[in-house]
Amino acid sequence: MTVRADGDEALLRAVAQGDREALEALYRRHAPWLMVRLSRRCSDPGLVEEVVQDTFVAVWRGAGRYRGTGEVPAWIWGIGIRRLIDRLRRSPAAVMREVPHDEVSISAEDQVLLGVEHGDLGTALGRLSPELRAVVQATVLDGLTTKEAATLLGIPQGTVKTRAARARRELREALA
Amino acid sequence: MTAAWHADLQMLSAYADGGLDDVRASSIEAHLLSCETCRDLLAPAVPAATIDRVWQGVVIATVAPHAGIVERVLLRAGVRDDIARLLAATPSLRVSWFLAESLALGFAAFAANVAPGGGADAALFLFLVIAALAPVAGVAAAFGPGLDPTYEIGIAAPMRNERLLLMRTLAVLATSLAIAGLAAIALPGFDRAAIAWLLPSLGLCLTTVTLATWIRPVVAAIVVAMTWLAVAASVTAARSDPVAAFRSGGQVLALALIVISALVLSRRRVVYEGGVAA
Repeated sequence: MTVRADGDEALLRAVAQGDREALEALYRRHAPWLMVRLSRRCSDPGLVEEVVQDTFVAVWRGAGRYRGTGEVPAWIWGIGIRRLIDRLRRSPAAVMREVPHDEVSISAEDQVLLGVEHGDLGTALGRLSPELRAVVQATVLDGLTTKEAATLLGIPQGTVKTRAARARRELREALA
Repeated sequence: MTAAWHADLQMLSAYADGGLDDVRASSIEAHLLSCETCRDLLAPAVPAATIDRVWQGVVIATVAPHAGIVERVLLRAGVRDDIARLLAATPSLRVSWFLAESLALGFAAFAANVAPGGGADAALFLFLVIAALAPVAGVAAAFGPGLDPTYEIGIAAPMRNERLLLMRTLAVLATSLAIAGLAAIALPGFDRAAIAWLLPSLGLCLTTVTLATWIRPVVAAIVVAMTWLAVAASVTAARSDPVAAFRSGGQVLALALIVISALVLSRRRVVYEGGVAA
């Protein structure tokens, strides 16, 4: 296992020069959370592994295109989620993870932590129906386009738009 | 980066198991993008074996060369990937090669269209001679030391050289003949003369492959090409007819060449198993 103390951007510059060790360091650092995050959006572990592999192959080939804008993890996530959508487009049969309908009860301590991070927004999001929340998550938090969100969630583009509009309305009312 | 807030281990493991509700999962995901500490805390949730396995996949995918356009077309057409790579490594199955052949034939056909009187005859002769020789050059460059980047690998590979040779010869013939056929359509007064090069070309190709069991393919191709040029030019000059070498006499001779070469080749093919003459 390679241990390198360099920052992500320095590693990425080294990868752009063809430094394989830097790629491995970057991979060891970022593959685990990427895999977990993708697993929450696709329930096929084999597909998730392929997507993680694709992502770092793309990092290897496209490291030179990183312009230093934004954090490296966000850049990697942007590649990862789009690779996942590409794969899902090619094999729509891949099962999507069902949005859990039974709410996990939130402990008071977590409620406070959530309050620190998001204020009222967390509570407001929590009140949304799982379908609306999935759309908010895909479009706002994952930063996907309507078309990409539709592929990821396995619903028509029109549905993404109407759900997004409804979610916005509900959130506005809750935060007012 | 504000590192005041961190997710606790319990929350992270719930997130990794997929048990955490969406709102808190989103909160963690947003936080993970900017917090190295929490990313490192989350990392053990993925088995090291999985991380290693996927890394091996990354290594293999990044070491393997990019598939070129010829290989991608072959793969799209349903050719097995190992065969596609062996074929795509053929020097005369490259886009630059196709362009060269198209240009040479295109210019000859163009000249045959625009050149006045005797010039057009010369251009027609040139077209037929090139059309007959292009596949010969392609076949000669398709295998053998020096030109074929996979030559040494090919000899050592657990695959009959004869089969590889046959596959490549057929692939080169198919593409060369297709290009020549398309260029022939541009000839003035499109008639039998436009395809008169076909049999001679096949005969010359087979002769080259047969000769290559004794001498280097490139040398074989040069010998064949020179002989062919001398014969075609002298016959044309003697009869003052641009297509003299391609009339019935020439066609019968070409057919005879094909039969004889095929017979000799079937007896000598064992030579290819040890690599062609170097």
